[in-house]
Amino acid sequence: MNHLPARLTAMTATAAAVALIVTGCSSSSGGGQSTSSKTLVVDNAFDLKTSDPARAFELTGSIVDKAIYETALTFNGSDVTKPVPQLTTYTMSDDEKTITLTLNGKHVFSSGNPVTIDDIVWSYKRVQGIAGNPSFLLSNLSTGKPFAITKTSDTTMTITDTQPNPALPTILPNPSLGVLDSKTLEGHGGTTGKDDGAESYLNATSAGSGPYQLSSYNVSSKVVFKPNPKYVGDKPAYGRVVLQNVKGPSQKIDVQGGSAQLALNLNSQQVNGLASGSIKVVKTPSANVGYLWLNQNAGVSGGLTNQPDFVKGVRHAIDYKAIQTIAGSGSTQPGGIVPSQFLGSLESDENNTTDAAAAKSDLAKYQGRSITLSYPTDAALDGVSFADMAQSVQSDLEGAGVKVKLNGLPIATLLDSFRAGKLQAGLMYWGPDFPDPSDYLTFSPGEGLGLRAGWTKDMAPEVTKAKEAAIAAQGDARAAAYQAWQKAANADGAFVPLVQAAKYAVTNGVSGVTQNAIWTVDLATIE
Amino acid sequence: MTALPAVRRRSLRLPVAWRRPAAIGGAVVLLAWIVIALLDPVIGLQGPLQRDVEVALQAPSAAHPFGTDELGRDVLARTLWGVQASLPLAVVLVAGSLVIGSLLGAVAGYLGGVVDEVIMRIADLVFAFPTIILAMVVAAALGPSLANAVVALLIVSWPNYARVMRALVLGARGQEYVVAGRLLGAGPFTSLRRDVLPNVSAPMLVLAMLDFGNQILLLAGLSFLGLGAVPPTPEWGSMVADGVEQFSSWWLATFPGLAIFSVVVAFNLIGDSLRDALDPRIAGAVQGSSL
Repeated sequence: MNHLPARLTAMTATAAAVALIVTGCSSSSGGGQSTSSKTLVVDNAFDLKTSDPARAFELTGSIVDKAIYETALTFNGSDVTKPVPQLTTYTMSDDEKTITLTLNGKHVFSSGNPVTIDDIVWSYKRVQGIAGNPSFLLSNLSTGKPFAITKTSDTTMTITDTQPNPALPTILPNPSLGVLDSKTLEGHGGTTGKDDGAESYLNATSAGSGPYQLSSYNVSSKVVFKPNPKYVGDKPAYGRVVLQNVKGPSQKIDVQGGSAQLALNLNSQQVNGLASGSIKVVKTPSANVGYLWLNQNAGVSGGLTNQPDFVKGVRHAIDYKAIQTIAGSGSTQPGGIVPSQFLGSLESDENNTTDAAAAKSDLAKYQGRSITLSYPTDAALDGVSFADMAQSVQSDLEGAGVKVKLNGLPIATLLDSFRAGKLQAGLMYWGPDFPDPSDYLTFSPGEGLGLRAGWTKDMAPEVTKAKEAAIAAQGDARAAAYQAWQKAANADGAFVPLVQAAKYAVTNGVSGVTQNAIWTVDLATIE
Repeated sequence: MTALPAVRRRSLRLPVAWRRPAAIGGAVVLLAWIVIALLDPVIGLQGPLQRDVEVALQAPSAAHPFGTDELGRDVLARTLWGVQASLPLAVVLVAGSLVIGSLLGAVAGYLGGVVDEVIMRIADLVFAFPTIILAMVVAAALGPSLANAVVALLIVSWPNYARVMRALVLGARGQEYVVAGRLLGAGPFTSLRRDVLPNVSAPMLVLAMLDFGNQILLLAGLSFLGLGAVPPTPEWGSMVADGVEQFSSWWLATFPGLAIFSVVVAFNLIGDSLRDALDPRIAGAVQGSSL
């Protein structure tokens, strides 16, 4: 039993040798792209639902789609203030209602089909037709009316809003507006309506002109990319990219041990003291702004939060530095509600500064009175607990003589009451839909968010005037107009911008990682 | 063993059980926690709410022997103050469920019939759900606060007492002294109060003592799930929950966790000894091992 017959042993050995030679030959013939035989492993805490651009609006989905698809316009690195051409160049009409896109050189899908204007029009109409999460990108935010998308020639097309919309160019770089290979997809159930059936094909094969294409896809464990051989831009440095679903604490172990080259979801405590040797920590302020609201509706305010001197006092009582310390290194205090990396952001505002003496005198009338501060218990601002921030604000206000009752709520419950305008005060955050200050006008009196805080148009005519000026501003005047609007809002308003937490990307032995507010990281630029 | 004279067993019953090291240990730990609860305001530690974000999340040191939490509050101070929430509320919980459960159980057992059916079917209804899940549902419906958590736990805890009490009363009500009392003209409630209750109270006390640890765990569990203590109240369960969020700062969850552990073990040791002391069915075995 222990001894195989000699002849059998010899045969087995020969077979094994032949097999080795054959596989060796095939692998050497297949490994022609010697520069791209390296594998990049990226750790990410998945919120992935689909990689179909018209349906995906999750952080992980954007990382995946950014790698697979090209967009009409894009951003360079982390600068989201200036859209630059990718598949097309653009011009805006004088009335700022229409953007004209013109094909920009030759781009080719992984199938070999060239990218045409028809593909772009088809992809955009598909986003509108499916009416999935990202469909709002291609419709008017206040009226909900879809943009008109028209092919004007074989190389040009237009997108038209019913109202002036200077944000149009900054909307188009979103990976959810990635351009798909319409000819291929139409053969796999793809349409531009609700009857579209191409999602499963897109989750298995992908159909883009970007640097990578899908090699394998598992929504809960990992997504593997291989290079798109037809990609016309610079070839990516890695021949295989594994984006795997790993929770924060394990990401730290992976990147320390070198089994992952990039970890995307470590919090400030976890990155503390991590940078050493080949491990580097890239810090970028997140575009999510944590804010405090004070309800201006007399019926909800309890006679406190709608009083201008109370609001002023609260603005001065808050220890913004302490909140930044809680949020971790690299976090910042935005001057207004527009995050620091966007056009029109405000560096600082004297109304939102810590000044204990001013707070005491502003709040003198309200000593011993009490407000209820609501906050979400099951949602965090880029990993920073709202409960911690709420306790910090509580201790600041109690230091100035105002009692604070904390009211932690599940975010679904909180949003229901907040949207109904029933909460006296609270903490929430706003994540941008697209990187343009016009996305933040909802924080004006009489607008969506403003009304949640009981802030109506007639309460703050100055802010409304500044808002209208900001909408009317064009070109280079926009930044100043949006800053003026935020200054007016800070002098009066219901919202106190508190903090932008930092986002940390931890790398081990790789470079070229720049964080972007829209797609987190571009896997193709990593070297 | 069966040859031991009844008189001798009776005279040794309490002292022997209480002299066991486990009982003494439990009593000492519990006493220490009670002293801490009483002395918290005068010990002069940093206030449990005093925040200093500059020293947030520091490991244990001479200045902060248990380290600091994410807002720079002293974990030692918060752990010691935490007993002020846990101990009194556990007493309220146990006393409350003992009173409610015993009353309902005694009435059900003594009166029988429809009253028994109604009360015990309601108890069965409560038993049909896992304790913590039902408590979560109630606490979530009422909104997070320690008071609501206590209400939720009372709702899920009384049936235990009711069931035991009913069984004891069922056993006692056929006894000759009870029947004799009734024949002498006592009404049902007088009979229950005068003849039955004094004879079934010992096992109920043991049950209550053993339940203390359980109730502290349930209360901490609800707070851990965010349905009990509201920040910034120092409460062990919610402190452990905070610690789980900051996994690399081991001291956040460890010390309040140890506090829960020590109190629960102390109550269980005392409860065990009390049972040994009061339960005639196992008193012989205890006596035999300690002689």
